[in-house]
Amino acid sequence: MIHDMKKLILKNILYFFLILLSLEVFVRVFHLSKDTPTRFLDNNKVEKWAPNQNGFSVTGNRRQNFSEYHINKSGFNSYRDFTPTKDKKEVALVGDSFIEGFHQNYYNSIGKKIENVLPEIEVYEYGYAGYDFADQLHLIHAYKNQFDLIDHVILGIKFSNDLTRPEYKVITERLALESPLNKLLKKSKLLVYCKSIGILDPPQKLVYKLTNLLKQKREVNPISNAEIQRIRQKKEKIYLENFESLIMKYGYDKKRYTLLLDASTTSQIFLEYLEANDYRYIDFSKQFEASKRSTTLIYDRHWNNHGRELIADVITNHLNQIDELASPLE
Amino acid sequence: MAFNSLDFFIFLPIVFLAYWLFFTKKTNHQNTFILVASYFFYGLWDWRFLFLIIASTVVDYFVGQYIYTSDTTKEKKKWLWISIIFNIGLLGFFKYYNFFIDSWIDFISLTGYEIGNSWTLQIILPVGISFYTFQTMSYSLDIYYKRLTPTKDFISFATFVSFFPQLVAGPIERASNLLSQISAKKVFNYAQCTAGVKLIVWGLFKKVVIADSIAPIVDDIFANYSEYPASTLILGVSLFSFQVYGDFSGYSDIAIGTAKLFGIELMSNFKFPNFSRNVAEYWQRWHISLSTWFRHYVYIPLGGSRVSKLKSVRNIIIIFLVSGFWHGANWTFIAWGAIHAALYIPVFLMGRNRIYMNTTVAENKWFPSITEILQILCTFSLITFSRIFFRSESITDAFGFIKQICSNFRFETYEHPLGYRMIDYFILLTIFTIYEFRIRRDERSPFKFKSRVTRFIVYTIVILGMLLFFDDNIDRSFIYFQF
Repeated sequence: MIHDMKKLILKNILYFFLILLSLEVFVRVFHLSKDTPTRFLDNNKVEKWAPNQNGFSVTGNRRQNFSEYHINKSGFNSYRDFTPTKDKKEVALVGDSFIEGFHQNYYNSIGKKIENVLPEIEVYEYGYAGYDFADQLHLIHAYKNQFDLIDHVILGIKFSNDLTRPEYKVITERLALESPLNKLLKKSKLLVYCKSIGILDPPQKLVYKLTNLLKQKREVNPISNAEIQRIRQKKEKIYLENFESLIMKYGYDKKRYTLLLDASTTSQIFLEYLEANDYRYIDFSKQFEASKRSTTLIYDRHWNNHGRELIADVITNHLNQIDELASPLE
Repeated sequence: MAFNSLDFFIFLPIVFLAYWLFFTKKTNHQNTFILVASYFFYGLWDWRFLFLIIASTVVDYFVGQYIYTSDTTKEKKKWLWISIIFNIGLLGFFKYYNFFIDSWIDFISLTGYEIGNSWTLQIILPVGISFYTFQTMSYSLDIYYKRLTPTKDFISFATFVSFFPQLVAGPIERASNLLSQISAKKVFNYAQCTAGVKLIVWGLFKKVVIADSIAPIVDDIFANYSEYPASTLILGVSLFSFQVYGDFSGYSDIAIGTAKLFGIELMSNFKFPNFSRNVAEYWQRWHISLSTWFRHYVYIPLGGSRVSKLKSVRNIIIIFLVSGFWHGANWTFIAWGAIHAALYIPVFLMGRNRIYMNTTVAENKWFPSITEILQILCTFSLITFSRIFFRSESITDAFGFIKQICSNFRFETYEHPLGYRMIDYFILLTIFTIYEFRIRRDERSPFKFKSRVTRFIVYTIVILGMLLFFDDNIDRSFIYFQF
């Protein structure tokens, strides 16, 4: 009996590994899994992608969204290299994964859509997943010479996420994703695929649950509405202070810089502050609310092609109103 | 603990290894261990309902003894009624109490009187109650009909009632098959275990890939039927046919496969019902354990088909109505049963109810004939029509659904509620149907290929299918748990 049982277990283990191997081949052949470019920290302590990388971003179990990315010489996803000069007209879009746009072919990005309408302008997309306002201002400061040549800068900002810290510091957790172990794990496309479709969530949750069992349970008291309101106001105050602190440190050219935000999800206090202090901003909430079609991807809350078109439209309209960018023929 | 949960895939190997490593010497030890594991398995849902299983076990264990030792038929009958009243009482209270109260309130309101619904109670339906009560009742009934000698081994009997692979959704076993196996010493059988693992994998495929992936489409169409044209509604109910089949037969395959790992052979519950050539054949292939139960304990005692045609028709109507009612406390299930009775009776009267009993479609052939294809399509359509009632929330919704098909008879492309490509599902179901046709002769060997390489490729595709259609965001509970 023991012999038969050993045989059963060994055979099942063997089949298990052979199937894993075959699945790895399937996932690679049909390109079901996303590629992840390598991160790096440059001499200016700016975190970005290692230059000159190409790959594909995939979302969904069955490649529901499949797009190509191209990391240019500057370390950002764009079809063009960033070479600002005094002679040309350039606009920079700075922001997080929404500006980075891995979810759409790099040759059909927001910047490209703007350029299609305003061909006399070159759009440089400085997008990087996870960039907050501190990252953005630090980037502009670190590449001051480059940004001084750029005619207009648009900074994507989400009030609830992007103002959580008063000063810039390198986020080591994000760079830890480039650890030798993580790099090794990423070599298995099957593993990356399984993680992206959520099949590894239940075991992860179980491990989390088990580790929490060992920890002492803290009693969580229900929070009253007044308390929620107080916490929210406190947060808003802190975020506003962080905004001021970052601007104090890095400076902010009110004439050349514009914020890109969704007013429907932005604190009223912040909007009033921006208006009172002459900070320009583009609000895309009305266009998104008026849209009859979905503006986000199926599996993901990032903008889909339609959402990006709307964003490109609002930015184009804004740029058209800026005198410095007006064509000499106009 | 559901079969498609991570908990089960931790629980199963542990129980399997412990069972065969530490409990091989004595049958009693084997059964005690399985009993504890089964109670643990069930207790993870809601430990309070374990007391119901234990109560049902104790009652039928002793009732079985008393029926057997009673000298007179009157005495035997008295004990049998105790078992029936107890089990039907449990079922009646937990499953049907609110239905009867609500129906009574509705009936009274028709006469112009209004009574409040203060009589209705917040009752949770204990998982598997419809299955294990029928199983324990079958034990007492078999002893009453002298088909079985009661066991004196309480542990074996308790294991028979609560054997975890089939505890919550069947197959509903008869003591003559399951108890006899439980009472005997189980010996590790390599071939049996291998076959069990294969059935588990195939069952999971049917659940994860077929049933779960279609569920959001079916849910959307049935929830918003008034907004869709006929083409979408027909698509919705057709997909529901596949969903309910994938869900329930998938569960049964996992149950049968799991039982095999412990040296137990459960009865087959599904034999490719989608290839049935008439409604009678369908009922020989769909939820076989339930139809067998009704045939043995309701239809035959009523006289079966050995009485006059009229009485036979009455018996058919009774078992289909009872079967419908067994599924749930809702008029929709009774209507579903009535439709099946209406579909079955003509087949019965024409004497065609047993003609396909021992054959499969395209017997000894590669492809079915045109006639067989038409027969299959016709049967599938009729069964699918009845499922409008099975799936609808209320009888009003079911009629509304049918009315919408008739009044809005046009074609429109349907878009997945979550925006996924619909073509993926059509390709999936086509491949699934072709594959099921390929394996139609043996429901217990889903990977019967001579070539080891072919078999391996199929395993890989099956697992890949699970990855391609896995969706953590959808409700993954089994449909038949609600019954």
